[in-house]
Amino acid sequence: MDEAGLEAAILAAHAAGDEAALARLYGAAGDIRLAAGDIDAACFFHTQAHVFALSAADLAAAEASHALLKRYGREE
Amino acid sequence: MNHFDPAILRAVTAPVESARGLPNAFYTDPQVFAAEREKIFARNWSCIGFGKDVPNPGDIRPITFAGSPLLLVRDTQGALRVFQNVCRHRGMVLATEPGNCKAVIRCPYHSWCYNLDGSLRTTPHVGGPGRSADPNIHREELGLLAVRTHVWMDMVFVNISGDAPEFREAAAPLIARWADFEGRPLYHGGADSSTSFDLATNWKLAIENYCESYHLPWVHPGLNSYSKLEDHYNIVEPGVFSGQGTLVYNPQLGENGERFASFDGISEKWQTGAEYAALYPNVLLGIHKDHFFVMLIDPVSHDRTIERVEIYYADKSMTEPAMAAMRQRNTEMWRQVFAEDVFVVEGMQKGRQAPGFDGGKFSPAMDASTHCFHDWVARQFTA
Repeated sequence: MDEAGLEAAILAAHAAGDEAALARLYGAAGDIRLAAGDIDAACFFHTQAHVFALSAADLAAAEASHALLKRYGREE
Repeated sequence: MNHFDPAILRAVTAPVESARGLPNAFYTDPQVFAAEREKIFARNWSCIGFGKDVPNPGDIRPITFAGSPLLLVRDTQGALRVFQNVCRHRGMVLATEPGNCKAVIRCPYHSWCYNLDGSLRTTPHVGGPGRSADPNIHREELGLLAVRTHVWMDMVFVNISGDAPEFREAAAPLIARWADFEGRPLYHGGADSSTSFDLATNWKLAIENYCESYHLPWVHPGLNSYSKLEDHYNIVEPGVFSGQGTLVYNPQLGENGERFASFDGISEKWQTGAEYAALYPNVLLGIHKDHFFVMLIDPVSHDRTIERVEIYYADKSMTEPAMAAMRQRNTEMWRQVFAEDVFVVEGMQKGRQAPGFDGGKFSPAMDASTHCFHDWVARQFTA
């Protein structure tokens, strides 16, 4: 899914209140930005992914985003 | 007028033979109710709900008690916790509906997330976009505001001020009086064993009416034909609880005389008797050999009170579907009794608009339990 497709899917997941999907979609958006070398945007998306993964109790996904954020000095 | 004038309150705390009841303002004035929030509900152990309200790890239940937003939480270890229902960031209420939070409680405003033990887990973007850390944000100082909590007989008590004696010390005389039932498992009967009333009255009138048996032959003639006035006795424990007991409790609730299973090994007193106590400030309890009920008095405002009734049984088998008809009959019996009291507690509230009413006159023989409660309330404002 490209970034435009991700944006539409994220908005739909917000509208549906689907936190598990939001964790996955924000994580995917973060990974795309990370691959492009845009660390600030990647950390923004992974912050979103971290919160929704926690809220959905997807602790493995939450830990993955948390580890990435810590690596870039964005999380405790 | 100073409603807490020591001279007025001394008239209330006088011996029952000469005492006056609490003045009208204690029932009709929102300022008195506001003072009660601090002096009575925050400083003592108030009941706000039940363990059964949050049975599973991650369950949460927001509760507004005497105007304070609280959050009942069952944490991942199964422990029951109560927090002030407010985010430490901007003061947003964290939860407005019961539900299950699984891993974290997330503020709906800026998504600060709290673990179920109240500790602050993450603060997204707090240091700027994509930066969840900030040198000025010390998570260890920003956990949820925990409220001192104690669970007794599935009732969740809180001491919001945090400086009351331990619950088991504060309630020791009642715990000792009902020692036969202490520590025993209680089994809630399920949906058919709950009921509630929304009343146009001050919370204290619900307590006062419950304390005494004087009204039984007039307000509960059906009950009185089974358990007569002369079978009752007053229970008075100044500063803690008061109520009434009956020497006659012999229910037959099944079509063919079947009964609920009783608690094992209880003393002879409970084979034929039962007791009804108001544990101050806000729970009305009924203990019987085979079931236990709680009426939680929720003080919504100076002139509105919600009574929440929950019925528990002595044996798990009493919660089975096969017992549903008997449970429903028991719930309906109590509901009818409590419904008969509605016109009284609402009528006394209306009566307290009469400017000449001076708090009333107690019968030393019949109203000692009610006076005990008035005395306790008055002393909360003189201590």
